[in-house]
This record gives sequence, structure tokens and C-alpha cells, in this order.
Amino acid sequence: MSSPVRHTDTRGTAPGHTDGQGIRIRNLNKSFGKKHVLRDITVDFAPGRVHGLLGANGVGKTTLMSVILDHKFRSSGEVLIDGKDPRENARLLERTCFIHEDQKFHDDDTPSSLLRILPTFYPSWDAELAERLASRFKLPMSTRTAKLSRGQRSALAIVIALAARAPYTFMDEPYLGLDPGHRALFYEEFARAMAEHPRTVILSTHLIDEASDLLENVVMIEDGRVTMDADIDDAMDSAFVLRGLEPVVRDIVGTRRVLREHRLGNILSVTVDGTATAEDRRRAEAANISVEPVTLQELVAARGMRGTDDAVMSS
Amino acid sequence: MTPRQDGRPIFMVLADQIADDILQGNYPVDSAVPSTNELAAFYRINPATAGKALGRLVDQGVLERRRGIGTFVAGNGPEILRAQRREAFHEDFIRPAVAEARRLGLTLDDMVALIRKDSP
Repeated sequence: MSSPVRHTDTRGTAPGHTDGQGIRIRNLNKSFGKKHVLRDITVDFAPGRVHGLLGANGVGKTTLMSVILDHKFRSSGEVLIDGKDPRENARLLERTCFIHEDQKFHDDDTPSSLLRILPTFYPSWDAELAERLASRFKLPMSTRTAKLSRGQRSALAIVIALAARAPYTFMDEPYLGLDPGHRALFYEEFARAMAEHPRTVILSTHLIDEASDLLENVVMIEDGRVTMDADIDDAMDSAFVLRGLEPVVRDIVGTRRVLREHRLGNILSVTVDGTATAEDRRRAEAANISVEPVTLQELVAARGMRGTDDAVMSS
Repeated sequence: MTPRQDGRPIFMVLADQIADDILQGNYPVDSAVPSTNELAAFYRINPATAGKALGRLVDQGVLERRRGIGTFVAGNGPEILRAQRREAFHEDFIRPAVAEARRLGLTLDDMVALIRKDSP
């Protein structure tokens, strides 16, 4: 291959450092006929970081990934990877890897045959890693992919995504059908792969809390629009949960926006927009109200349930 | 990894965990602590987060980096940690204990008696 081999020796460099420029998206639109799936998306995916692409089913996450990589045509707008337009740019696309939810393989291929062929397509392929992962996931190497279980196909896709060591790695719901033990194995190997060979990752998942420790940045899509784009720690700081007797909780919330609330008997639990102040904590403690951090799952659910403008105001 | 306790970012929770291990003597002075990569894989967290946890302890003088070898517990590392923890003792332990005692109707004398029971 004439392509430069990238990221062969980044061991020991600071995590998060890569040589790419990241992904820049400006005013991106995508329609399927009359259905407007992506609406004026403007977002940057900084290089060398792990980005969580979050949102409910059908909001356009998969479409966004497909359009970035030009697997689907965009309707309008700009996409730049490393400063270059990916459209019909084979050299650039060689630096990317995209594994899909329910990844399809050619029925006659086996894990073994795939691991033999794929290094041709991925210049930075790590054969040793591929073998180690395949063995840790206990992949039956000579079974035709048509005969693999859903979990085994997910495991195979994960092996490929991590071993490809593509500077831009896209993983769309990568672990459907994986049991908790194998998901834990994925998180461990993902963290190790990122530490040893940093790369830009865009990961979409429904198991948000499980994956949240791996993310550095969260981008939330609602109805084809980006509604949140934040560092994970800032995102977690952007809301908090108060729990206790309703009148007291309402009193502490004051006029602030309530993103979501649940009731259990006399107990009200509210997710409040903003950061808890020292005064909030003092008043809560005095009145036996608990102040808890929001989980990423709750944050996405709370912000995703309602639009940004029509959240319930506390009374 | 443990959840974000008290709303603190994970790197702080992890830094505290390493500090606990140092105070308990699991990492004695001059011994190496796990690398960023080992921490990331073990706790299944982003390597940048693991690096931030180590960086925090390096900034506090608890750990020192030795070029090309690794990160080690500094000579006065345990003492720095003990001083920090003494300072935080009131906020972290006494105040919550007093709040719980109040909910349970325990008096100050009850509390003192309980502390005596566990004191050498």
C-alpha cells in the first residue's frame, strides 16, 4: 500500500493527541424525499477525543455518521475531515472505519477470513490486537458469519473497529446482543486501545450510563438538530437532581427550569436545569432534601423528552 | 468505575482512590503507581480521565513523574495526603455524622460516648 501508516507509534504520548484536524460540519442538511432528517447541523468533533453521539431512536444519529463518511449523500452543507471533503476521497476514507448497528458481513466469510483480508483496507491494522481480541471474545474463527449469533457479530465488528486503528473510528450501537460480561470486556479493551493509540471516535449508544466513563465529549441530537455539544464534565454539571417532600423541593427550585420530575408517594424527584449552588446545598441539607448529580442517561432523557423551549416551569 | 459521587468528576474520584491506596500503604513511598493506560483499562475509563487523576496528584506533590520510567509516590506524599484529609475531616465526616445524629435524635453526649467506644 502506498498510504502512509499512521499512528504506529504513539505509545507513551499524551492521550488525546493525534495528528488529525478533526471533523468540521457546517449547516449540514439531509432529506430523504420530503423527510428532513438532518437539519442545519453545525458541530466540530475535536481530534483525538471520544465523542458520544446521543439521542433517541430515529433522531438522525446513524444518518449523520453515514453522511459524514459519504456513505449517504448530503443534501447541502459542508463536511471536512482533516480539512478535506470526504466525497470520493479514497485516501481520506482509508483513514476511517465505520461499524454499524447490526453490522452485515458477507455470508461466506468467516472471522478468520475477514481478519486475513481486512489489513488490505486498513493501513494501520494491528494483527496482534485482532487476534487477542478475537480470542478474548471467544469468536469461533472458522464459522461462517451467517451462522454467528447477534452478539458474536457485534463482537466481530468491535474487533475490526479496534484493530483497524483508523484515525477516525465510527461505532454505531456497537454492542447489540452482547451480554454484560462481554460489554465490560469491550469497555476495557476500548479504553486500552484509546490509551495506546489515540484516535477520534464517534460512538453512539443506548447504554449511556455504562459508556459515559469512556466519553470526553457529548453531542446530543434531537429531531435532526444538535441540542447539546459539551465536555462530559460540563454536561454533567448542567443539571442536578433534588429529592424530598414536594413543597420544600419546589421552594428550593424556585423559578428555575425543571427538566423532568417523578413522584413516589409524598416524595418528588426533580431534575433541575443549572448547577446546584452552595446555598441550594445548605437549604437542602437543613430540610432533609437530597441533592444528587444527574446521570448522563437522566440528562439525555430529561433534555430529550421535551424541546429546549417548552420544558415545564416549576410553580 | 464508581459513579460520579457527590457530582464530582471521575478523575477526582479516581485520584481519591489512588490516594486511599497510598495512605493504606498499598503503594509505599518510592513505589510506582499504575500508568495512565493501566488505569484506563482497569477502570474502563477514558485515558484522558486517568491521566487527569494522576496529574492532579502530581500537582499536589503526592506523586512524581520520572522520565521514561513512570509515576512514583513522592517521599512526602503520604504526609501531604494526611494533612489534606485532616483539613477535610470536619466537612467530610463530622458534619454528616452530626446531621444523621440529629435525624435519629442522638444527643451530643450519645455521640461522644459512641466515639469513646471506638477510640483507643
